Amino acid sequence: MNYDILVDARGLSCPLPIVRTKQELNKAPSGKIIKVIATDKGSIKDFQGFANLDKNIELLKQETEKDENGQEVYIHYILKK
Amino acid sequence: MVNMISPKEMYEKILKDEKTIIIDLRSPEKFNTQRIEGKENLSVFNIYYAEMLNTGEIDKDMLDYIKNNFSNKFSKEQEIYTVCDVGETAKIFAKNLVESGYKAYCIEGGMKNWYRFYDYRPVVESPEISIYQISRVSRGDLSWVIISEGQATIIDPLRHVDEYINFVKEKNAEIKFVLDTHIHADHISGGSEISRRLNVPYYFHPYDGIHPVDVLFGKVQYNYLKDGDVFKLGKADIKVIHAPGHTLGQVVFLVNDKYLFTGDSIFIQSVARPDLGGKGDTWAPIHAETLYKLITTLPDSTLILPAHFSKPIEANEKGLYVEELGKLKVTNEALAYLLQKGKDEFVKYLLSSLPHFPKEYVEIKRVNIELIEVDEQRAEELETGKNICALSQVYA
Repeated sequence: MNYDILVDARGLSCPLPIVRTKQELNKAPSGKIIKVIATDKGSIKDFQGFANLDKNIELLKQETEKDENGQEVYIHYILKK
Repeated sequence: MVNMISPKEMYEKILKDEKTIIIDLRSPEKFNTQRIEGKENLSVFNIYYAEMLNTGEIDKDMLDYIKNNFSNKFSKEQEIYTVCDVGETAKIFAKNLVESGYKAYCIEGGMKNWYRFYDYRPVVESPEISIYQISRVSRGDLSWVIISEGQATIIDPLRHVDEYINFVKEKNAEIKFVLDTHIHADHISGGSEISRRLNVPYYFHPYDGIHPVDVLFGKVQYNYLKDGDVFKLGKADIKVIHAPGHTLGQVVFLVNDKYLFTGDSIFIQSVARPDLGGKGDTWAPIHAETLYKLITTLPDSTLILPAHFSKPIEANEKGLYVEELGKLKVTNEALAYLLQKGKDEFVKYLLSSLPHFPKEYVEIKRVNIELIEVDEQRAEELETGKNICALSQVYA
């Protein structure tokens, strides 16, 4: 999936993945897609909760993948409306 | 420097019913699934931390939020406890509350730690017999340890078996056998695991060795219990009474003619639901018969020790979820109804009081008789939330 801005939140735990994403969302013009990569499994539900709260964003997709080191990563695509 | 409070200290405050405020910073979805519950004087507020984020500088955003929203809601004299998923967000928030002049404490390890927390307390300690209540507070699950002359048994152990093994070791006793009052639907039993680890027999009634929905024999290794069996444990006599209704193989254990471990039959405020085997209409009359027999034949001085509670309000002043049968005949809504209206009316009452049936409960029974195996992560998912084994009134 294409994206405009990457937030690398690997190694960060709650609340930092959301906080970093919020900072990028504040800067981004509308229509841009932010890709967040996180290693915290809790981020899956956290981003769902965040998207339910903030009416100016849409959670487009969530994926679980293995990164180059074989570690499980959780990827979130967020559209700034 | 952030003030911390452990789950154990938090639970003591809840039991004492001191005026307490908890601010839960998780998303409303998580908050609505499960939260810390207390008695009358505990107020739990849900303020989702993401709602405070504005500039994205978390400390600044939290300080602004507190400044704009707290002064007319909370007093600076009142102690405020903060909680989140694993503890970090709550720590940051507590720090900012303190900076804003509030008395704030962070609950250590967040809800993750709270879910895992086990509470221990004695029911009776004497040379003849000692009984301990071991409770997984967040789930409302109760299990019991009986020790007599250095010999121990565990009734309805939960799946974190080290809690029991270590506890009994500290009491210088040895676990001789493990008992389940029935095959549980709401949580994964530790019975089979303790049996394997310590090479001691694990007992439950064979009717529960068959999955009620799948109608398949479980693969779990166990020994049969039957009505009238008596186990000797030091100076304790443990008598088995078949008490079908919640499950067909449900039993209760009468110890030294005084202590009745009721599993999922009689609870403190209510009784167990009869429908978790998927056959509520058929099992409800059996359940009514069992309950009627128990409460009309056993002496009023019998002490009831159940497998669940619904809310901390059911605890007595010692934090124990126990009560004498005579008192329960008056205070327990379901038992009072049964005595007043009789068995036929009670069956209707049972069937009209059924709460939501969590779909996980069918799978948990499969795990408990080892038709399937699950890993730690799935086990945690299956055990999300509080038990829903009682009738619905007490949850209202």
